[in-house]
Amino acid sequence: MVQEIIAFTILGLAVAFLVKKFFWKSKKKKDCGGGDCGCS
Amino acid sequence: MSIQNINVALIGNPNVGKTSVFNMLTGLNQQVGNYPGITVEKKIGFCKLPHNIKANILDLPGTYSLNASSMDESVVIELLLNKNDKLYPDVAVVVTDVENLKRNLLIYTQIKDLEIPTILVINMADRMETKGITLNIPYLEEKLKTKIALVSSRKSRGIEELKNLIVSYKTIPNEPCLNSTVIDKDYFEKLQHAFPNQLLYKLWLVITQDVNFSNLDRNEIRSTFTKSHSELKRLQQKETIKRYQFINDVLKEGLKVDASMAKDIRAKLDRVLTHKIWGYFIFFAILFIIFQSIFSWSTIPMDFIDSTFASLSSWVAEELPSGILTDLLSQGIIPGIGGVIIFIPQIAFLFLFISILEESGYMSRVVFLMDKIMRKFGLSGKSVVPLISGTACAIPAIMATRNIENWKERLITILVTPFTTCSARLPVYAIIISLVIPNERVFGVLNMQGLSLMLLYLLGFGTAILSAYILNKILKLDSKTYFVVEMPSYKLPLFKNVGINVVEKTKAFIVGAGKIILAISIILWFLASYGPGKDFNEAEAIVKERTIQKPLNEVEFENAVASQKLESSYIGIMGKAIEPAISPLGYDWKIGIAIISSFAAREVFVGTLATIYSVGNSDNEATIKSKMQEEVNPVTGEKIFNFATGISLLLFYAFAMQCASTLAITKKETNSWKWPAMQLVFMSALAYFVALLAYQLLK
Amino acid sequence: MQNTIHTLKKGEKAIIKDFDIDLIPLKLLEMGCLPGNLVELLQIAPFGDPLFLDINGSHVAIRVETAREIEVELIKTNF
Repeated sequence: MVQEIIAFTILGLAVAFLVKKFFWKSKKKKDCGGGDCGCS
Repeated sequence: MSIQNINVALIGNPNVGKTSVFNMLTGLNQQVGNYPGITVEKKIGFCKLPHNIKANILDLPGTYSLNASSMDESVVIELLLNKNDKLYPDVAVVVTDVENLKRNLLIYTQIKDLEIPTILVINMADRMETKGITLNIPYLEEKLKTKIALVSSRKSRGIEELKNLIVSYKTIPNEPCLNSTVIDKDYFEKLQHAFPNQLLYKLWLVITQDVNFSNLDRNEIRSTFTKSHSELKRLQQKETIKRYQFINDVLKEGLKVDASMAKDIRAKLDRVLTHKIWGYFIFFAILFIIFQSIFSWSTIPMDFIDSTFASLSSWVAEELPSGILTDLLSQGIIPGIGGVIIFIPQIAFLFLFISILEESGYMSRVVFLMDKIMRKFGLSGKSVVPLISGTACAIPAIMATRNIENWKERLITILVTPFTTCSARLPVYAIIISLVIPNERVFGVLNMQGLSLMLLYLLGFGTAILSAYILNKILKLDSKTYFVVEMPSYKLPLFKNVGINVVEKTKAFIVGAGKIILAISIILWFLASYGPGKDFNEAEAIVKERTIQKPLNEVEFENAVASQKLESSYIGIMGKAIEPAISPLGYDWKIGIAIISSFAAREVFVGTLATIYSVGNSDNEATIKSKMQEEVNPVTGEKIFNFATGISLLLFYAFAMQCASTLAITKKETNSWKWPAMQLVFMSALAYFVALLAYQLLK
Repeated sequence: MQNTIHTLKKGEKAIIKDFDIDLIPLKLLEMGCLPGNLVELLQIAPFGDPLFLDINGSHVAIRVETAREIEVELIKTNF
């Protein structure tokens, strides 16, 4: 049970990271130029 | 006594050893980032100085003057004009090369006009003797109104003096060393009269340069004081002449050269290295050595890393209590991390060679040698640098196109650079080559696998140049051609500079790409371990029923259940859905998943396959390579990674545009979605058809 | 005919006389390409372009099309 909770937490983190990396940044583009601008 | 923080900016021409001075001051206490909104590299280092002073040292991009002709150079001006910037320097350190003092001092006189306390570093002092140069330091200090530190980064000399000068920066005069406004007295007097509180030289920069200037409304300045482009340029020429007159006068007394003492190996080396036959021969020999060594030297650590992670996985699976987290660790996370770590040897070698070529000054000779040929294809000699550094990563390579003066040549270079074989393709190539190309030697010396890799690199370059030729014919752009390349003197690369560069670049790459690969591996593991419906949940019953005639032993049964589960998992369903599109290319659905996930970044390919095969296989100890080797088609019983599929995959990866970051940087550098969209569509279509053709011909 | 950097032979030295400023990049001026300065043709790339010059102590390579625009006066070498 404990294993499951930790495993799914890791999954959640992984998804959140990817979403942030590829989608959230493109929205932010208008403010700072986007991409690897170091604004995250 | 409390610690005092000061900002120090390192400024100077390219090729004066500015980075060496930076490395000597800061060691490994460096942070590499980007300036907000642009992709110019921002390097900050920290240095503890006497009297409890801590210096933030900013290594600004190399620039010949304060007249910006590129984004890198604009960064320097914008920082120096904005007193409110938190990095605005308390003291500027202008680095010069003793052999090129005259030219290097031009920017020094401009910085002085901005009334920032400025220290002058004369670098490469160890070469003074062999060049017959003597300097009159007190005279130079008096005339240039500064303090001078004689530094030799090669011999690590003079850095303590420099540190002491930085500490006592408040004693350094900050008035200009010449009056450049005499070039047009009337104009400058009026300008000063209109903005009495502003520094005249600042105003002049605002008028001539395309930079942001926060305190003043630039339109206001420009509307009253602007001149035609041609007039401005004439004034800039006058300004340059004025500054050189001053510098010449100072150096006449301050610097003596005994020409009879000078021993110049540059001329001799250039005669060979830019020779019309030897020059090309040496260039291609160097490329050949690089690619051969990347492949053969790095296989040893790569195999070691691969097997280490495989045994780590099986150790975790055995030692930890069984459960979903243990499975995630042993089948998802550890193979995922392994898929990143395995890059290190090859990437480090590649960055090592590239930084040696750049440090030694050889890269400029290649530009010189290749310009005429490259121009036939619509490129510039300077395109060679992006094309070569594209073998490390297309992103810095596309940024390196900034010093190509001609927009059309630059655009074409940006568009074709992703064809060069970047290091992310390397692990994919490496593993497929080792599966389908025999590890034998031809003609007794050449390793077939190394040769195949070399051919793939040549294919990348060839396609890049061919597409450049086509683009050159299609694109109708007119822009002025300017081409100015400095040919620096040859230098033995400094071990410290090369080392720091390799460590920093490799680290940035592994950390940046690694996070994505790891996240994708985790998600893939979940998608591969869970599935909808009874095909997945009742896998054991289904297998039992299917094999009722011919019962399997325990291991065979477990494997059969695992692959039944994988096929009916979420990822299996997705893979099966796209299988019709990719089976003509010789790929099964597992490879299809790997290809789709590598559209985020190519290097994910190996990690994805590692995860998929780990889930579908009860044997944890096997390496990725052996798992791929054992994979057979369930219908025909043939190996999946046979010659035809292997070649088809290699070609697909050679051409396909599978890198979200490259598309992003193309968008940024071209300022339009049109070009990255074109790259994506054109390259992917090409990849599909070439792979299709290859598989159909070879199968 | 007027001598330009383009008409120099390998190893020849000359003094820069004049050029049309609108045709010369500012960067080249900053490298020392100014009237009155010394220029030496050090090396010609294969296929005749670009040219490798020593301008006022700076080592630079420029293309023929730029070199053609820079008028020079040849310095007679003594034998």
